[in-house]
Amino acid sequence: MKYDALVIGAGIGGMESSLKLGDMGYKVLLVEKEASVGGRMILLSKVFPTLDCASCISGPKMSSTINHPNITTVTYGEVKTIRRDGDGRFHATVRQKARYVDPAACTGCQECEQVCTVAVPDEFNSDLVARRAAHIPFPQAVPKKAVITREGTSSCTDTCPAGIKAHGYVSLIRSGKYEEAFQLVLDATPLVGSLGRACYAPCEAECTRGDLEAPLPIRRLKRFIAERHYATHDGPGVQPGEPNGKSVAIVGSGPAGLTAAWQLARKGYRVKILDSAPEPGGFLRQAIPVYRLPQEVVEQDIRNVTALGVEIVTDTRVDDLQALEREGYDAVLLATGTPKATSLGVPGEETTAVVSGLDFLRDVRFAEAPDLEGKRVVIVGGGNVAMDAARSARRLGAVDTLVAYRRGREEMPAHVAEIEDAAKEGVRFEFLVSPVTVVVDASGNVTGLRCTRMKLGEPDASGRRRPEPIPGSEFVIKCDLVIPAIGLVPDTGPFDSHVAVSRNRGIQVDPKTLQSEVPWLFAAGDVVSGASDITHAVGQGRRAAHMIDRWLNGGELDGFEALDDRLAAIDKAKVLSRQKSYTHRDPVKLDVSHVPAPRDFAEIEPVLTEAEAHFAAGGCLDCGVCSECGQCVATCPANAIDLSQHEQTFEVDVGAVVVSTGFKLFAADAKPEYGWGKYPNVITGMQMDRLLAPTRPFNTVLRPSDGKVPDRIAYISCTGSRDKTVGNPLCSKICCMYSVKQNQLIMGALPLADVTMHYIDVRAAGKRYDEFYEESKELGAAYIKGRVAKVTEKPDGNLILHYEDIENGGGLAEAEYDMVVLAVGVQPNREVERLFEGEPLGLDEFAYVAEPNDDLNPGQTSIPGVFVAGTASGAKDIVDSITHAGAAVAQVAAHLEKAAHTLRVLKEVAR
Amino acid sequence: MSTTREVREIIREEPLMHGDILRALSDGPHTVPEIASAIGKPSDETVFWVMGMRRYGMVVELAEPTDEGFFQYAAVKKADGEDEAR
Repeated sequence: MKYDALVIGAGIGGMESSLKLGDMGYKVLLVEKEASVGGRMILLSKVFPTLDCASCISGPKMSSTINHPNITTVTYGEVKTIRRDGDGRFHATVRQKARYVDPAACTGCQECEQVCTVAVPDEFNSDLVARRAAHIPFPQAVPKKAVITREGTSSCTDTCPAGIKAHGYVSLIRSGKYEEAFQLVLDATPLVGSLGRACYAPCEAECTRGDLEAPLPIRRLKRFIAERHYATHDGPGVQPGEPNGKSVAIVGSGPAGLTAAWQLARKGYRVKILDSAPEPGGFLRQAIPVYRLPQEVVEQDIRNVTALGVEIVTDTRVDDLQALEREGYDAVLLATGTPKATSLGVPGEETTAVVSGLDFLRDVRFAEAPDLEGKRVVIVGGGNVAMDAARSARRLGAVDTLVAYRRGREEMPAHVAEIEDAAKEGVRFEFLVSPVTVVVDASGNVTGLRCTRMKLGEPDASGRRRPEPIPGSEFVIKCDLVIPAIGLVPDTGPFDSHVAVSRNRGIQVDPKTLQSEVPWLFAAGDVVSGASDITHAVGQGRRAAHMIDRWLNGGELDGFEALDDRLAAIDKAKVLSRQKSYTHRDPVKLDVSHVPAPRDFAEIEPVLTEAEAHFAAGGCLDCGVCSECGQCVATCPANAIDLSQHEQTFEVDVGAVVVSTGFKLFAADAKPEYGWGKYPNVITGMQMDRLLAPTRPFNTVLRPSDGKVPDRIAYISCTGSRDKTVGNPLCSKICCMYSVKQNQLIMGALPLADVTMHYIDVRAAGKRYDEFYEESKELGAAYIKGRVAKVTEKPDGNLILHYEDIENGGGLAEAEYDMVVLAVGVQPNREVERLFEGEPLGLDEFAYVAEPNDDLNPGQTSIPGVFVAGTASGAKDIVDSITHAGAAVAQVAAHLEKAAHTLRVLKEVAR
Repeated sequence: MSTTREVREIIREEPLMHGDILRALSDGPHTVPEIASAIGKPSDETVFWVMGMRRYGMVVELAEPTDEGFFQYAAVKKADGEDEAR
């Protein structure tokens, strides 16, 4: 793309430059980093010395700018780099940040703001009030289009293998929107209750709050919303999709199969699940002990699926997949999990007193477990099945339950909480041992397990150190029952002739599409990956449903946004750096009463109370800012929200550049003696301008400490200006006059208030400025000459100014006020330094953009073809900024015309 | 009672405080110090929450301040069918 001029920054200087260049017929690209044009002027109450409404002056200029036929405006954009080419023109790279809103569809109705669940400080109101992550920058924004602040995917959401928006449901719970939170999880999977009990919560391991005092109890929050929903609703509250005439058979009713069925039914597919077990649920039903996952919870979750019309047929083993295709199913999903246990491979294993962990847990679940009263049990293995088996054995009365594991505790694949809970329930551990023989007496009864001791060698392919036997270290662990729990594998034997099987006995599929070499056959969950956990299976089930839907509709097998197209995870260090300090929050206690010898299978973990859930959710740090709760998507009447947007980068070729990047306000906390950031009633001049503006954050000028209408307000001029102690010897030029302006406005808004300005000297140089100052005095504002040394706070929030009173004897004095306004100065915006590649833009000794010939050629910079407009080159008031922009525009026009003339001459010479 | 907590932290908790503040206003309009006392939180933090709720139409100020110079804020009744703030 080619333009005559690139203007950087759409404050008053940038808008003026663009408009004038556009009026001259030049094509202009205007890039503004904020989501609206207007800069700071649009945020002001009124302008001095006329007291005209700032919005009334700025508004038409903003509108003219973005509607000008010769101006292309990019808001929420950023110029990344500029390089001067050999022909004197410039090559710029421009980044368009994603708004996550379709600007063509957005009507600016602000409905998204009303329902958004994330509150952040409103930078356009100088942090005096909250805005929402979904927001319109300010009421007069141009364009008046919403934007959603997203800084990345929150760690909890990013790490979930199921693609469940953990941050989203936490923020909904924080807002008291419990059913909405349930529905957000339900959008991913019907297994809300089961996950609330049995998920190992990788989200909690990544929770940024964990770096402070403890992670949020995210899993238990999910359980809270599930219990609340199931207590008050008969069904899921979701309707099946309009029937599309297509059908899918799913083999296996575990987490992957149920989730896929749920997703497909919502898209209008007729779905039938077939399972060889007597009851549906897979491992949820057969392997997870009821003290962790009660039967009725699984049934509630499964009823979500059947409520959509999904048919579940049990006691039906499927060996012939092609028969399903012949029956007319358009696609088949294989989700049979890992029903086979890996054997120990040691002598004596064939005895009946050796039971695999999976079979043992299945027997326990169906009340067919052996009586272990007084028995000694050895569980071989270090995974979650081993922990479940050990804890179940304790509940069945085993007098001694020992977990024998060939590596150390650190290498155990079981979840840490499971290991700790097992230990609390009296399970013993023997590490670095490996079985050699099951010892059987003459009657065929198991009497022990002969083991060898192990040592850890070099890491193997899994990254864990490989265990190696120690010669001559064999010993016998006395026991009555051995439970091997060393691994689970898929049972793909019946399908070997239909579809390729991998070396780990899983079905071979494309890992992204889950489609097998047989196009109508997909596979998901543990039957593909080998033994994993519920969340991985749920994620695979979601993916399979998406891909089956794509395939049956002739689409590309891609676009699975839930897991494949998320924003990059936000850096936790960046999240924590948003605040200098964090208040400690006591974590919600896990009120589980473990007993050393549990004797029943009653659930051991209580549900969070509403107060606990609400408080716990309140600890969320909103890492990614937007929580992806989806409320804006559901509410937007124009269907304008698009969370799948990505930022875009484009290249432009321009003839000239105008730098109008404005200024930075002095950071008032750099003068700690004045108490800004420590005393609520010390505010900055910009904050007071917001309080005085028609679009103010409060209903009038109020004290931030308690909402009281202030009676006595003091101004401290030259805060951060003419002050070598903060490295800024320059006068900021505008502070005196905006203070005088605010003095007058306060006297108009609060007729009973006293206003006093503590000044060094009042600089009222400009047309009608001094008259304006004198008028202010006549209206009743007091002006005291002398520096303020410090501000202190009284217990009632009032402030004591300690100052020098030059005109009344020069002594030190004190005065009490309700509020203090710091007339902060301006500083250079140093972002401009990184813009130019190869040829740095010259800066003056104060780091403003230098104008080497400002006496004769204002607006020219050190780089030919680059010009500066407004306060980027030094402090200016609005009038001077506009005048300066006019000068820069004249320079740009001269430069462009000269370049065009040179080109014409060269062409003629060439001819 | 004032706080030294960071503004971002206070504002982040605004949605969390909606229920408590609306309950404090259930018996009629109150000033910020009264609301703060009712919910057991500092007044300066309560200003952030009340003003945020005012911005999004959950509370509204009465026309005139009290003799002590405080405005009173009232909960906004939602129309039939709308979900009452919890």
